[in-house]
Amino acid sequence: MAFSNADAARAHLSEVLLRTGQEDREAFRELYSLTSAKLFGITHRICGNAQAAEDVLHEVYLTIWKRAGAWEPGRASPITWLATIARNRAIDWQRAQGVRRTSPLDDAPDIADPGEGAEAGMLASESSRELIECLDGLEPQQRDAIRTAFFDGVTYAELAVKRAVPLGTMKSWVRRGLARLKDCLDG
Amino acid sequence: MVDPIPDTGVPQDVAAAELALGLLEGEERGAALRRVLAEPGFAARVEWWRSRLAVLFDLWPEYAAPPHLAARIEASLDGPTTAKTSRFAWPALAAVTSAIAASLLLFVMVRPEPTVPVAQPVPVARASSVLVAMLGDAKSPVAAVYDPANGALRVAAGPGVPNARVAELWVIGGDGVPHSLGLLSGRPTSLAPKGVDRGRIAPGATLAISVEPLGGSPTGLPTGPVVATGVVARV
Repeated sequence: MAFSNADAARAHLSEVLLRTGQEDREAFRELYSLTSAKLFGITHRICGNAQAAEDVLHEVYLTIWKRAGAWEPGRASPITWLATIARNRAIDWQRAQGVRRTSPLDDAPDIADPGEGAEAGMLASESSRELIECLDGLEPQQRDAIRTAFFDGVTYAELAVKRAVPLGTMKSWVRRGLARLKDCLDG
Repeated sequence: MVDPIPDTGVPQDVAAAELALGLLEGEERGAALRRVLAEPGFAARVEWWRSRLAVLFDLWPEYAAPPHLAARIEASLDGPTTAKTSRFAWPALAAVTSAIAASLLLFVMVRPEPTVPVAQPVPVARASSVLVAMLGDAKSPVAAVYDPANGALRVAAGPGVPNARVAELWVIGGDGVPHSLGLLSGRPTSLAPKGVDRGRIAPGATLAISVEPLGGSPTGLPTGPVVATGVVARV
């Protein structure tokens, strides 16, 4: 059942996004109500403060309004396309500040560690489960670094500061982790 | 696996993942972006990683946006910054990576060729320098780089086209007539124009992309809509 619900939700979101691409304001409103909590979760975590996260989210939806016509069903799922725009914009903002955020956020919700096992079974898609299981197979510091890079939008240098290890050590952890991840995904 | 991997010996897939994850900055990022343009195989690996890692978005917790924001956003849709510049079906890839495309051009312009680490900046304008064109608007450009030294014309992922259609690249030189340079795909393409067409790819010439039936224009001239154009410049 979960699969068909997820499929139906995805189909609906695709349809709303396509209509947004035709400059349909009602569709845009619905798109916002369906996706703004997800995208705000992204900009809030990466920007690290609510005001900046709001401003970036505003920019993200303007971008979506302008570019929705460019989204091609079949190339990327609608939520992936939208989330990627939000993550990229938030990272652009964060890097433009020239300030390295190295401490964890106080008020951002935690991202569940699938290493604890619960989420893998709840994820709708096969490819989600596969990636999570492969991440689970990494050494803890490798997994932590890769997840932190994704969810916090940080670079090698910022990761090294966060974890208080030399840059070379961090690169080495991540690269070994990525190589193992690749082997696992191919396997 | 390999014990501390030296920077120079990073396997292709690991290098692609580093870029896809956003781990790189500065010159390292610039080098990786140049590689995306130069090596279609590498660009494909970056895209593969991007799509694999994107499933992590499933885990991202939702966080309700402030209630006043929806009205503020909607009120700004008609603002001067929201003018729609294009109704063309640009690829999702171009839309979400336009910042990368822009940086790509910047890096191509600053550093015309892959370089080994050196202390001195590389001179930018040289007689043998490459030619570049950015096709389309600034928001979703398609970068084309032509190296007169080896005749290779490298084009970033072409615009999205409907089923049973293909994007075709043209050069319009001094004669004002479009000459086909070849077909593009949704991935970065490397073309090798014929001798006479090589001469047409010169500063000031126009490159254009049209949408054609599979196999390319049957007439030798563009038959479908022209979806992007750009002027060739020396860098």
